[in-house]
Formats: sequence, structure tokens, C-alpha cells
Amino acid sequence: MSEQEEKPKEKTRRDFLKQVGIVGIGSVLAGSAIIAGINYDKRKTKGARIKVLTAENELLEIDRNDATKVGKFKAENLSYMQKQAREGIKGKRWVMVIDLSKCKNARKCMSACQDAHHLRPEQHHINVLKMQESTNTAPYYMAKPCQHCDNPPCVAVCPVDATYKRPDGIVLIDNEVCIGCRFCIAACPYSARVFNWTDPIRAEEDKDLVYNPELNVPQKKGTVSKCCFSADRCREGKLPYCVSACPNGVYYFGDENEDAVTNGTTKETVRFRKLIEDNAGYRLMSELGTDTRVYYLPPKNRTQPFKEEDKPEAGEHIGNNNA
Amino acid sequence: MFRKNIIIKITIAFIITAFFSLQLNAQRWDVPSNKKAKNSYIKFDNNTAKSGEEVYTKNCKSCHGDVGKANGNKTLNPQPPDLSSTLTQELTDGELFYILNTGRNAMPNFKNTLSEEDRWKVISYIRSFNKKYVQVLSKTDPSKSKLVKINMNFNAATNKMNLSVVANEASGPVVLKDAEVMLFVSRYFGKLQIDKTIRTDKDGNATFNFPKDLPGDSIGNLTIVAKVSDEIYGEIESQTKLTIGVPTDKPSLTAKRAIWNVLKLAPWWIIITYTSIVLIVGLFLVLIVRNLFRISKIGAQQ
Amino acid sequence: MLDQSKTNKITSDLLSHIRLNYAFKLWMGFLITSFLVCMYAYITQLDKGLAVTGLGDYVSWGMYISNFVFFVATSLIGMLISSVLGLSGAKWAAPLARIAEIIALAFAAVAGLVIVMDMGRPERLINVFLYGRIQSPITWDVTVVTCYVLISTLLLYIPLIPDMKYCYEKTDNTPKILKNIYKALSLNWIGSDEQKKILNKSVLILSILIIPVALGIHTVTSWLFASTSRTGWDSSIFGPYFVSGAFVSGCAAVIIAMNVYRSSYNLKDYITEMHFDKMAKLLVLVSLVYLYFNLNEYMVPGYKMKKFEAMHLHELFAGSHAILFWSVQVFGLIIPIILLLFKKMRKPSPMLIIALFVLLGAWFKRYIIVVPTMEHPFLPIQNVPFSFKVYTPTLTESLITLAPIILVLIIVTGLSKLFPIIPIQETIDHYEETK
Repeated sequence: MSEQEEKPKEKTRRDFLKQVGIVGIGSVLAGSAIIAGINYDKRKTKGARIKVLTAENELLEIDRNDATKVGKFKAENLSYMQKQAREGIKGKRWVMVIDLSKCKNARKCMSACQDAHHLRPEQHHINVLKMQESTNTAPYYMAKPCQHCDNPPCVAVCPVDATYKRPDGIVLIDNEVCIGCRFCIAACPYSARVFNWTDPIRAEEDKDLVYNPELNVPQKKGTVSKCCFSADRCREGKLPYCVSACPNGVYYFGDENEDAVTNGTTKETVRFRKLIEDNAGYRLMSELGTDTRVYYLPPKNRTQPFKEEDKPEAGEHIGNNNA
Repeated sequence: MFRKNIIIKITIAFIITAFFSLQLNAQRWDVPSNKKAKNSYIKFDNNTAKSGEEVYTKNCKSCHGDVGKANGNKTLNPQPPDLSSTLTQELTDGELFYILNTGRNAMPNFKNTLSEEDRWKVISYIRSFNKKYVQVLSKTDPSKSKLVKINMNFNAATNKMNLSVVANEASGPVVLKDAEVMLFVSRYFGKLQIDKTIRTDKDGNATFNFPKDLPGDSIGNLTIVAKVSDEIYGEIESQTKLTIGVPTDKPSLTAKRAIWNVLKLAPWWIIITYTSIVLIVGLFLVLIVRNLFRISKIGAQQ
Repeated sequence: MLDQSKTNKITSDLLSHIRLNYAFKLWMGFLITSFLVCMYAYITQLDKGLAVTGLGDYVSWGMYISNFVFFVATSLIGMLISSVLGLSGAKWAAPLARIAEIIALAFAAVAGLVIVMDMGRPERLINVFLYGRIQSPITWDVTVVTCYVLISTLLLYIPLIPDMKYCYEKTDNTPKILKNIYKALSLNWIGSDEQKKILNKSVLILSILIIPVALGIHTVTSWLFASTSRTGWDSSIFGPYFVSGAFVSGCAAVIIAMNVYRSSYNLKDYITEMHFDKMAKLLVLVSLVYLYFNLNEYMVPGYKMKKFEAMHLHELFAGSHAILFWSVQVFGLIIPIILLLFKKMRKPSPMLIIALFVLLGAWFKRYIIVVPTMEHPFLPIQNVPFSFKVYTPTLTESLITLAPIILVLIIVTGLSKLFPIIPIQETIDHYEETK
């Protein structure tokens, strides 16, 4: 919550407001303001004026944001959040590019993610793996978030429509619907999903929060949790938590429809297709036909070599302990 | 007291960094001469140094450590220097500014993450560790930036974007010669630079090659941002919306029927197979239950 | 023509076990006490979450799912004995049909509960019906298991209708309420030709209908695994592989039930050594079919040794699961097949032991199918506690796994105290025909 209050101070946000207004995605922003209004009464963002008929038969014109506050029942706000999360952001197709040549296993992405999503230390929406394909090939660090497949095996097997794919490509889970069968965990070839085996780590302090599927907070015991591509941040025009936390410029995030991705560290925006083409980008286990929305750039010309002490763990998976 | 402390620290830092400077000489920054001469338009004082320290703590300290303490991140190679060292202090303000703008190896660039003002303030903070430093102020007068107008002109036949930069002085229009110009297109998370950074010619004009394949909105609108940086007029930014992009209206990713889609968009073959199996089995079960009633009825009649 | 005394003997013999004796009360008391202990374990799971199990984010399916597969598998035998054998005219199987149906119904009905025990949010079971997506194999499973339970219930009940009449008329010392239930269930049965005709036709329809549905429940259950791309599950023969395995565990369960009913209810004249001999041969047949599918399942990927397949097979053949894997294959499949080839072994007592081994092997076989695959995903398991990498079931989890097994025993025992487990009318009809 404290983070929300800080936001207006940030310069980048104002810059962004200006741009977005012009590009004509004002509606998206108004949407985000409404949610913010529901969640945090302190927020004062101007929205459209609407006419409301009161119980006393008085016709009033009020700010739209104030109107949504009337929905003071948690259930109403919840269904609004659930609906909004399923609709996604119009016209977008989010993509992430992970440059393996820059990853130094700093793990700032992992901690930022766990902070944002209120996860336990062993729960990873994004996990930096020490990888090695075979004995003589190079070991490398690989950050692995949910791949947000366009042909998602996890969504296919969900019996209750708790996990779903949105029009903008993000695969989300609604933990108010999830029955905890864990079929999606079994179906995911990327081991991207985690389960709340016990009460969530911040259950006590989160108990009055309205559930937001775009952030998947509060987490709920007995339900599955997963990387959300920081759908809540995308709605605000900000880069995902992991992307902005990286100190090494590993992540690019953006909209495939705009053919542009922005680096989380340098905030430099480049053309997505050219980046992939110039660096021979690839997708993880593309032979499975999952059509992922995460692209990898190969670990070539690395700025820092793979650490010697990490080699045994990297080799474990291929049954090679590098002895 | 405080001053003495700093002097001691600087002395220690000098000894330590002098030792490393020989090694690091090979990795000197190669800064173009025109960048080298750039100066801050902000007057460095205690206030700017103080706000510079805040920026430093957030963005630089994790690698460079506390200035003067030589406690930077030792695991990096090359090791980030202590910024109070002679190695750093020898550089001109323009060079430091350039380093912040471009980054190298493990050091990221800050040209998009920090405002120009903040970048200068960090330099002001770094300079506060150098007693011998005397600031040379730039000729820039930021208040004059309001006078500058950037005209954008797109030639669809050649795909060239022409910018002319003129300052409307009281004495009459003045063209900005040799000013640095950058052209961007607004994207959702940031600005995408078009072509290269160039300088205006003697008539205050700059021409960029504009890509033909840049996706715009559903009718091809693009928000173009031009950024001019001039010695005298400072930084000027101008925005305009032009219909010069490729119209892009891609369908939603969940529009098609698919096995992973919601129930309403399930493939027909699954809907038909599932429903008919359930209906057939249900029908037979109803038939059997009817038979049971028949058996009961026959018995009751007799 | 009608040998009244013989008929009376049959009736009284087959109704004799419908009474509450001391042994039954003791056995039932033991079962219920153990069941309550296990349910206490389940309550702790409801309270603390699935953290009380040995499951983790990687091995997220363990004993509960193995148990579920085992239950669905064992329930398939009802279809084989009462329907396939019945339709093919194998008259010897008639007295076993009801035992098989009781086992089928008990296991299938409890399978539904087993899957609820595995759920993180059991109170949201209703969501499956509210928001059910028919693209999910779980929805198919729920649908087809429900169908199977309904059909099995009818297939158990309809041949019971004439017997209900006997129960109503010929049992003494039964409480009045039970008598009324028998009367109601007998549906005014008078044994007229018309009634017989409708009854036989209904049984015929159900016997045919149950074949695809039974194949369906286990094929769909196998698809819970085969529909993923995981090594060890990503197999196109999983359907028939599971179905053939199901008959093995089902046969073993029926053999055990035959043995227990025969000795404790004094049914030696009705469940004869001939029945055991035939069942033994049936078990050998289905085991051989299952062995054939095992060969396909392990030999084909073993020949190619693709990267992940090789790792998986290494774990099974020589790695951490090797002892369990080979025990299951040797003691649960190969040795029983060999032993049952000898006539001496096809007798009730040796068969009881063999069937227990086969049944136990069948349970662990499900475990071997579920767990090792989950322990080896495509990407390495890193940055998690060691307990996430290697699955070790906890005591609580084992007790919860035991609960449905006890529940099945309660149902199977309970039903045999309410209804004749050898069809009376059919036995009389059969006696008359052969006289």
C-alpha cells in the first residue's frame, strides 16, 4: 500500500501520463484509476463525470471514481477486479525478452517478485536457474518466469476456468475460483506454477485487502499461484516488478503489436523483432508447441563468466556433476 | 570536524586508488571531444550535492560503494572505482556526464532512467569530494528553451522526417545550428529512438530516415517526439501525432476456438462429443428407471 | 418338478449371512475406529492445508492421486465379470457377478472421495459443476465416474429385485425397518413373465452400456497424465495400459473377496474350487495382457533413450525408485503369473496370498507411475528446500490415504450384511436348468 502512495511522486509516471493521454489509451488509465480508487481511497485521479440518481430521487453529477467507492461491499469490488483481470488491456500483446548474456545471477528479480506477490522464500514466480544442456556445452544462468504460452497446456486442463488466458496474452489465475486440484502444475512443462501448501506468509496483514487477480494478492491457502507478467503494473504503464528490479539489463518487456520492448534497467526502448533477429533469439522448448510469449537471447559474449561454484548444480540435471 | 574527516578519508582513498589506477589505465573512457567540453547549466552547491547524494544512494552505491570509503562491489570485473579517486576526479564534467549517459560493460546507462538535472546533481555530489574542483558553468540558459519551436515535416515519398529548429527571440527568429537532435516514437513503456542522434545543419534543419514498418494504432497514428539539446537554449522536447505508421489492429489472442479457451469457445468437436455421450448415457438411464417403474406397476396390478 | 426342499436350502444358505453376529460387530467396530482415526488426520489437513503432506511444488501429486488411480482401476472389474463374461455366456461367473458389482460400486463411489481429499479447496467442489470446462480431462473424469457409479448401482440393484422378495419373506430376526426396505426395493416382484422380461432386458442394456463407460473411466483417468507433456506420462498407449492394469487389480480384489466371503459366510457349495480355478486363469490372462503393455511402455522409450526418457527410465531401472519398480513388476506381476500356471496354486488359500501380493503391487504400480515422473520435470529443480526435490510421504498423508481403503471395506462388509452376495434367484434358476 505504501508503494501506491509514493507513486504520484515519481517523475516517470507523469511523463507517462502525458504520453498515454495523447496516444489515446486514456481509457485504460481511467480504468486503473478506478481500481486504485476502490483499493485506496486516498488516490485522487480525475475521471469522467457521470449522472447518478440517489435514493432520494435526486439527480447528481459526480466524479466516476467517487461513484465506484459506493461499492463498499468487498464482494462487489472483488467481482469488478475479477472482471477487469479477465478483460486484459485492449490491443496489447505483451512480450518479454530475457538476455541470457547479461544475467549474473543477481536474483534481484526473484526478491522483487516475491515481495510484490507476497510469496514465501521457496515460492518462485520467477526462478533463476543454473543451466547446462550437456557436459561440454556452456553453463549459464537462466531466469525463468511463466512463459505465458499462446497455447497454454495449464489453462487447457483447468476444470473450473480458474486459470485463463486473456486477450493480451497474459495467463492469470483467479484464486477465488481455484479448487486446488493442481492439474495445471502437472501440465506445465516449465514448472512455472507454485501452490500455497499452507497459509500464505502475509495472510494476517492481507486479510482485509480486496483480492486482485492481476497481482494475485492476497495469496490463498490451497490454491495455485503463478507469475502474472505483473498485469497490475502493465495496466499502470509500468514495467513488471522483476524487469525493473534487474540491475544488469537482462530484461526487456513490451508490446508485440507495437514492435517495441523496453529494457528494465536502462529504460531503453528497442524494436522487438530486430532485437530477436540480431541476437538469434529463441523460445524455451518450442518443440512443445506452446507458443510462448517469453523470448531468450543466447548467452553469448557474456559480461561475466559463469561462476565456478555454481557448475556442479548446473550439471546435476543432466546427470553430470562436473567432477 | 566533518571536514577533517573528509580530508582523512580522501587521503586514504588516494593511496588506495593510486594503487589501482595503474591497472585501470588500460580501460580509460574514450569520450568524443565535443562531449568532453560539455558543462552543467546547474550551479553546483551544497544543495545540489545533497540531492545528488540521494540519487547516488539509489542508483550508484550498490556498485561504487560509499564515496571516499573505497568499499565498492569487489566481485565485479573491472572493479567499479571509488568516485573520489583521482582517476574519476581527473575527468571533466562533460566526461562524467558522458559516462552516465552511455554506460559500459557492467555499468548501465542512465540517460533514460535519470533526468538531465539529476545526472548533473550526481556529478555535483561527486565533485563535493574534490576540494580543488572549480566549476565551469555552461552557457545554457534553461529559461530560453521556451522560445524554441521544432517543426516536423514528413516526406512520405522518401520516408524522411525533416526537423527545423528555430528560436523566436524578441529580435526575430534565430535558427539553432549544430544542436543535438533526437527523434523518438512513443511506445507503451518508453520512447523508441528513430535513426541516430544527429546535429542540425547551418539552417537549423535535421533529417531522419523514418522506418516504413513501424506499427501505429488502428489507423496508423504515431506519437512522434523530437528532442533538441542546445548549448544555449538547453533541452527542448516537442510532441506531435502523425498518421505515418502501419495501421495495426491485431485480433485478441483469445478470439479463436481452442482447447484452452473458455467453455463458450471450446472446439466444436469437444462440445458435440461430450454432449452426445452424456445425452446417450442419460437417455439409457432414464429408460432403465422407467423399466423399474413398469416392473413395480405390473406387480401392483396382480 | 420343482424340488422345493432344494430351493429352500439354497434360499436359507444364501440368506444365512444376513444377520448381525458378534464377529461382524467386532470387525465393523475395528473398521470404524480406524476410519475415525484417519478422518482426524484429514481434519488436520483441512486445518493446516496440504502442507501436512510430503507434497511440494514439483511433486504436487503423490499418494492421493496414486490411490485415486488404484480405486478407479479396481472398480473396473465389475464391468469385466458381470458384463463381459455374462454377455459372452460364461455361466460360471454368474455367482461372482454380485461380488464384482459390490467391489465396483464401492471402489468407484469412494474414488470420488479420494479425489476430494487431494483438493486444496475441497469446499469449492461445487465449482466443477458451476464453471466446469468440458475441455478438461477432470471434467470428463467427474462425468464418467458419476455415470459409472449410477450404472453400477443399477446393475447391482436390478438383479437384486427378485432376491429382495426372498429377503422380505424368508429372513427372520431382521428389524422391521429393514424388512420394509426390502419390501420397497422388491418393487412388487411376483416373478411374472412380463416382469422377468423387462428385468432381463434392463440388465442386458446396462451390461452393454457399462462396457464403454467402464473403459471410459479408466481411459480418462489415464488421460489425466497422458494429456500432459511430461516424460513417463506422455504416452499414446496410456489408455489401454491403464485398462489392462485395472483388470489385474480388480481380479485380485475379487479373489480376495471370494475367499473371505466363502469362508466367513460358509458358501463353499456356491463359490467352489472351480470358481477359483477360473478366476486364476482369468487373472493370468489379464496379467499377461498387462505385462505386454508394460513391455511396450518401457521398452519402446528404452530403446531410443531420448534425453529425458533416459533419465526417467534410469531412475526406475537403477535409480532411487528401482527397488520399488522391480518389486512391483516381479512380485506383483511376473511371479503371480508363473505360480498360477500350476494347478496346485489355483486353490483358494494360495490364491489369497497371491492376490494380496498382486493387489499390493497394483497399488505401488500406481505410485511408480505418478511420483517418479513428477520428480523429474524438464527444467532443473533449484532454489527450493530439499523436501521439494524428493517426495517422502508423511504419516498424516498415509493415514488419509488409508481412510478410503477402510471405507471400501466398511461398504463391502456392510452391503454383504444387507443383501445376499450370491444371487438367489439365478442360483435357483441355474439349479433347475441343470437338473
